[in-house]
Amino acid sequence: MRKKIIEMRGIVKSYYLGTPNELEILHGIDLDVYEGEFLSIVGPSGSGKSTLMNILGALDRPTQGHFFLDQLPMENVKDEGLSKIRNEKIGFVFQTFNLIPRSSALNNVALPMLYGGKSRSVRTKRAKELLELVDMTARSHHRPNELSGGQKQRVAIARAMANDPAIILADEPTGALDTHTGRMVMDIFHRLHQEQGKTIILITHNTELALETERTIRLKDGSIVENKINEKIQLEGSYESA
Amino acid sequence: MNLLENIRLALEGLRANKMRALLTMLGIIIGIASVMAISTLGSAMTGSVSKTMDKIGGKNISVSLTPKNYDSQATLQPEDYITQDELNSFKETYADQIRAISLSSSLGSGKLNSGYVHKDVSVTGANPDYRLVNNINLVQGRFISDRDIQSSRNVIIIDTTLRNNLVGVNGDPTGMDITVKTKNTNETYTIIGVYEKVVIDNPLFNMGDDTRIECFIPITTAMSLNSASTSIPGYDNFTIMASANADTTAFAQITKQYFIKNMGALSDYTIEAQSMEAMVSEATSMLSTLSLGISVIAGISLLVGGIGVMNIMLVSVTERTKEIGIRKALGARNSAIRSQFIIEAIIICLIGGIIGVGLGSVLGVLGSSLLKFPSTPPVGPMIIALCFSMGIGVFFGYYPANKAAKLNPIDALRYE
Repeated sequence: MRKKIIEMRGIVKSYYLGTPNELEILHGIDLDVYEGEFLSIVGPSGSGKSTLMNILGALDRPTQGHFFLDQLPMENVKDEGLSKIRNEKIGFVFQTFNLIPRSSALNNVALPMLYGGKSRSVRTKRAKELLELVDMTARSHHRPNELSGGQKQRVAIARAMANDPAIILADEPTGALDTHTGRMVMDIFHRLHQEQGKTIILITHNTELALETERTIRLKDGSIVENKINEKIQLEGSYESA
Repeated sequence: MNLLENIRLALEGLRANKMRALLTMLGIIIGIASVMAISTLGSAMTGSVSKTMDKIGGKNISVSLTPKNYDSQATLQPEDYITQDELNSFKETYADQIRAISLSSSLGSGKLNSGYVHKDVSVTGANPDYRLVNNINLVQGRFISDRDIQSSRNVIIIDTTLRNNLVGVNGDPTGMDITVKTKNTNETYTIIGVYEKVVIDNPLFNMGDDTRIECFIPITTAMSLNSASTSIPGYDNFTIMASANADTTAFAQITKQYFIKNMGALSDYTIEAQSMEAMVSEATSMLSTLSLGISVIAGISLLVGGIGVMNIMLVSVTERTKEIGIRKALGARNSAIRSQFIIEAIIICLIGGIIGVGLGSVLGVLGSSLLKFPSTPPVGPMIIALCFSMGIGVFFGYYPANKAAKLNPIDALRYE
């Protein structure tokens, strides 16, 4: 039996809009994600994808239910504790890249390690390795505004890997990219998954991309309506030739 | 997340907005510079006051007859004057407290004629103690003696400038006769001594005409020459030099009480006695009150500067909401965000403070040299100014930084 990276039982998230009108976004989500899985979460907008991602990413707390991240119970974790979990266990990749505009690619990649308390020499060494992994060494001293969308997303993926997290959470990582660069980004995810055995959760509304992953969770109106193992699609060729 | 990294981050942030950072600093720079300039100037002034005090006699008490009511048209009556007998008995009573009593009586200004030399001089009648009390530095000959006083001799002490005019720098004028014509007199005096004028390089004490040459003659001579027109039976002022261990301020009071008690009824006049120490401390306290007042105004400009810093930090936090969200998503703790912004505010203020201290010191030194006070910027206020500017950074940076630290990461990430 593989290690469970995520175990969610009966996760409910509701918002209080004024006192009586409680708005429930997630209605009891049960979800297990195993180590080394490449999972996709799909669903139309308003289905609760983002809310689920915020909870998975330790940015938000569920209103009800139990959530274990890398076997750690997430209930009663204080704000500072959530920061530590985000720093150590989670690597975010956003649709809009979210790089720090004033910092070089290298410093952006090193940033999570700075907050993790790593020394400067360790940070620089690791950041250089990661930039090499995403083939961005030549651009390591460029600022985000000097990089193309695809290059930015590669830097963002390198940054997500900085503290060797338990999961990578990718929220529409190809949403702001053209098909070609989107393909390159997806290939990097496949490589991280296969070569490094990373657990990756891809949140998307692109069903084609979802089919590339091992398993797809479909959300609708705040509930899981489908949990399907995808047939293995032969993708190796595409990135080996790339 | 250590201090050095925070400083690096803050400098990165400031570099991105150089002009804005500089304008924000301006308030701090102006505030600190004015405080620094004032304290440099102030310490230069007080320093020179105490130095001058040594020169003009810190143990002196000046006693004078003053009108009870300044509005009245009162004139001194003959019985008001302090007579020599009264003075002698006063001196006997407090022999242990008094080192010397200087008496003087001005003959007014006049013209000196001696061969080709014509000079404007002022002639003052003085007693032997005058030399000690007024710190007269005799370079040639002798000062007025008791015998000169007793026989009202026509002898005179001149200063080095006049000596140089009469006989040259290396000449000896003693024994020479000179004629001095004043308003009521035209007398010939024999030079018995030459004194060197004490140069008081302090604009605070530099009252009156400094260029006139002052000559001294025996006081009895001066008084008898004066009484040719009006009869004056005594003195209306004198200066006491208290002995080294005496408390001059207290003794001034004793002196005043003594004369009020022993002189009987005075018509419209009373006795005032003031110690030089009291006058100087009055002047110094006036100076420090003045610089305190100006410092308060400078402090207000610092406050305004601090509010400017706070304002810019608030703008900066809003501007960088998204960045704060990203940092939080990457695992930055609230404390890390807070210290990043506080340190940024501190650095703005500290750089402003350093520039201000430099500018203020230069201004202070420049200002004091313009007023002819020697000065060096005081180190104490310098350190206080720097600490204070850092304090402003902490105080006015805390609120914006805390606001940044408390941002919800989800909302901050979504912020456009």
